[in-house]
Amino acid sequence: MADAIVILIIGVCLLGSVGYMVWNKKRGGSSCGCGCSGCGCSSSCRGKKEDG
Amino acid sequence: MSYTIALAGNPNCGKTTLFNELTGSRQRVGNWPGVTVDKKEGICKKDKELHITDLPGTYSLSPYSAEEIIARDYLVKEKPDAVIDIVDGTSIERNLYLTLQILETGVPTVIALNMMDEVEARGDEIKAEKLSRILDVPVVPITARSGKGIGELLAQAAETARGKKTPQKLLVFDEKLQRVIDEVEKELESSGESDSAWKAVKLLENDENIAAGISEELKNRIRKIIGKAYGSNEDPEAIIADQRYRYIAKVVKDTVKKSAAGHIETKSDKLDKILTNRILALPVFACIMYLLFACTNSENFLFLGIPSPGIWLAGLVESVWGGLTGVIEGLLGNASPWVYSLVIDGIMAGLGSILGFIPLVLVLYLLISFLEDCGYMARIAFVLDRIFRRFGLSGRSFIPLLQGFGCSVPAVMATRTLESEKDRKITAILAGFMPCGAKLPIFALFVSTLFADSNQTLVTYSVYIFSIVTAILVSLLLNKFVYKDGASNFIMELPQYRVPTLKSVFIHGWEKVKGFAVKAGTVIFVSTVLIWFLSGFNLDSFNGKNAAENEDGSIMCEMNDSFMASVGNVIAPVFKPLGFGEWRPAVGVVTGWIAKENVVVTFAQLYEEDVTEEYLEEYFSRFTSEELEELGFEGGAYDSEAAGDIYSESVLFEGGDENALPHMKDDIKTKAAAYAYMVFNLLCMPCFAAVGAMKRELKTWKETGKAVGIQMATAYAAALLVNVVGGLFL
Repeated sequence: MADAIVILIIGVCLLGSVGYMVWNKKRGGSSCGCGCSGCGCSSSCRGKKEDG
Repeated sequence: MSYTIALAGNPNCGKTTLFNELTGSRQRVGNWPGVTVDKKEGICKKDKELHITDLPGTYSLSPYSAEEIIARDYLVKEKPDAVIDIVDGTSIERNLYLTLQILETGVPTVIALNMMDEVEARGDEIKAEKLSRILDVPVVPITARSGKGIGELLAQAAETARGKKTPQKLLVFDEKLQRVIDEVEKELESSGESDSAWKAVKLLENDENIAAGISEELKNRIRKIIGKAYGSNEDPEAIIADQRYRYIAKVVKDTVKKSAAGHIETKSDKLDKILTNRILALPVFACIMYLLFACTNSENFLFLGIPSPGIWLAGLVESVWGGLTGVIEGLLGNASPWVYSLVIDGIMAGLGSILGFIPLVLVLYLLISFLEDCGYMARIAFVLDRIFRRFGLSGRSFIPLLQGFGCSVPAVMATRTLESEKDRKITAILAGFMPCGAKLPIFALFVSTLFADSNQTLVTYSVYIFSIVTAILVSLLLNKFVYKDGASNFIMELPQYRVPTLKSVFIHGWEKVKGFAVKAGTVIFVSTVLIWFLSGFNLDSFNGKNAAENEDGSIMCEMNDSFMASVGNVIAPVFKPLGFGEWRPAVGVVTGWIAKENVVVTFAQLYEEDVTEEYLEEYFSRFTSEELEELGFEGGAYDSEAAGDIYSESVLFEGGDENALPHMKDDIKTKAAAYAYMVFNLLCMPCFAAVGAMKRELKTWKETGKAVGIQMATAYAAALLVNVVGGLFL
C-alpha cells in the first residue's frame, strides 16, 4: 500500500513535469522549463515565438 | 476594451525600468545594446485595459539591425493604440532623432522625458510644456527609477490611446524636400499603398525593405521624381538626416536651458579615467572578477577564516534538505527497498545535489547583475573591443558572451544583434564556451572534492579565465580558416554609472530562484528519475533473476551491471586519453547535454555509494601512524570500528565542504584529470536547449552541426592538453 501511494505521487509529479515542459515548448518557450536556471531570462526564450 | 501601448526609445533610456514599473514584470535592466532583443509584453498593473509592449532599444527606425526592424515593423504594421517614446533627458538631442521618426509613423505618441533627476542634478532645465507645444504631443517628465511622474504618464498614455490622437505633421524638412516627399506620397497613394506618407520618407532614405515591397514600375516612377529633384552628387538620405538634426537643434535651443557651469566632469567621467584606462582597465577587471568568485566559492573568504556568502548559504540549504530527507526516510519505513531507493537515493539525492549549489550560482549571478546594472560591464565591452578586434571580433560580441555567463540560450539569441553574419556565427559558437550558471555546480563539486587542499577560489576563477582565453583563440582560428572577413565596426554608448536599486537586485535574484525552481521541478526531476532507473536496473530486474539473487529480494542490480553502465562502458574509452575513461564520468558528460546540472545529479547518484569497510581500509592504508593518530585513531593504529566516524568527520569533510563525493576519486584519479573533466564540460556542446537556439540563429542544421562539431573538437583538444600537460605539474 505504501509503495502504491509513493509510486502514485511520483507518477503524478512526473506527468505534471513532462506536461509542463511540452506546454511551455508549444507556447514558444524552452523545453528546459522557464528559461535556464542561470539567466532568469525566461522572456528571451518565450520571445522566440515572435521571431519564428 | 483593451488598448495596446508600445514602449520605444534609445538603448539605456530606462525603457525596461519603466516597463517593470508599469507591469510589475521582471525584465533585465542592462546598460548596453542587445539586452532586449525581442519585444516583451505585459498588462499595466494600475489599468488592466492597457497592454504594454516593450520594444527593443533603437537609435532610429532604419532597417540596419534586427532591433530596428522589430521596433518599426511593430509600430507600422501592428499599429498600437499609442506609443510612449522614452527620451533620456540627459541626452535629449540624440534621443529626439528617434522621436521624429516615431512621429512620422503617425502612431499616437506620448513622450516620457526620463532621468529628470539627473537633469536637475546637473543644473539643466527642460521646458516640457514648450516641447509638447512644438511637437504637438504630450510630454511628461519622469524618473523611471524612482517612479516619479509615472502616474501622470500613465494617465496621458491612456487618454492618448483612447482618444487616438494622431500627431500633426511637423515642418521638419525644407520646402524642396517636403515637395519631393509629397510627390512620392501621391504616387504611393495612387498605387494603393498604405502608410504612404511614412513610406515616402523611407524610400527617399533608400530603405531597401520598403523598396522590396513595391512594384518595379512604381519604383521607377519614384526614382524619376527623386532624380529630378536631386542630382547624382546629392544624397537624399543624408539630406533628410541633416535636416532632422537641424530641426532638433532648433527645438533643443528653444526648450533646453543648460547649466551656467557648462560641462562638469561627472563622477562617471572620473571613474572612467581608471576603469577604461588603456593600461589599468584589464587588471582592474581581472581583480573585480576574482573578487566575484571569492564572494561565491571560497572557504576562506578574503582570508578572514569564514566561508564566502555563497558557501555559507549552500551549507544552510544542505542542512534544510538533509532534514527533509530524514523526515521522508522516516515516512518510508514500510516501503520496498526499490521504492526507498527511488525516493531517497534517486530523487532526494539527485535534487539535493543540485540545490546545494544553487546559492553559489545565485550569488555569482547577483554580483554580475550588479556590475551590469551599475554600468561597469558596458565599459568592459568597450575595453575588450581593442583585444577582440585582433582576433577578428568586435567588442559588441562581448555582450552575447557575457549573457553566456548566465545561460547559453539567450546568449546565442543575443547574437542576432550583431550586424555581420560572420560575427553572428562565430559568437554563437563561442557562446557555448561560456561557463553558464548551470556549469558552475560542476566546477563547485569538483573543486570541493578534488581540489579541497587548493585555493578553491583560484581554481574556479581559472576555469572562467580558461573559457575566455579559449574563446579568443578559437575566434582567431575561425577567422583565419573558416569565416574570413573583417570585424564589423563597434559604436556604443557608455551610460552613466548608477547605483542599482535594491529592488532591481531583489527582482533579479527572485527571477533566478523562480527560474531554477521550475527547472528543478521539470527537467532535473525527470532526469533524476531516469538516471536512477538506468543506473539501478538491468534486464535481470524484469525476469526475476535479481529478486532471486538479492538477499532482500530487491529487483535492483549492482550499479556496475546496470543499463547505464552498459552504455557508459561503450563510450568511456573515448575519454581515456583525457583522464576520465570510466563509465560514470562518461555518462555524466552525456546527461549534461540534457541540462548541465545533470552532471552533478548524475555524480550524486552514481557516487553516492556507502563507504564500505574495504574502501575505508584501503583509504587509510596510505597514512602513516602519526597521521592516523592526528586523524583520531588511538595509538596511531587503524581501527575499523572507528574508521567510519573518523572518515565522516575529518576526512570526508576536509575543508568543511558538505558537497564532496569522495568516491569520485576512484574514477578521476588525478587533479589534471579533474581539471580536464571540468574543461571538457565547460567547452563541449552546451545543453540541447542551447543547440536548439543555435539552430534558430544559424538557420540550417548544417551550420548548427558545424558549430557543435567545432565545440566538441575544441573541448576534446583542450581537455587532452590539460590532462597531458597538467599531469606534469598537478
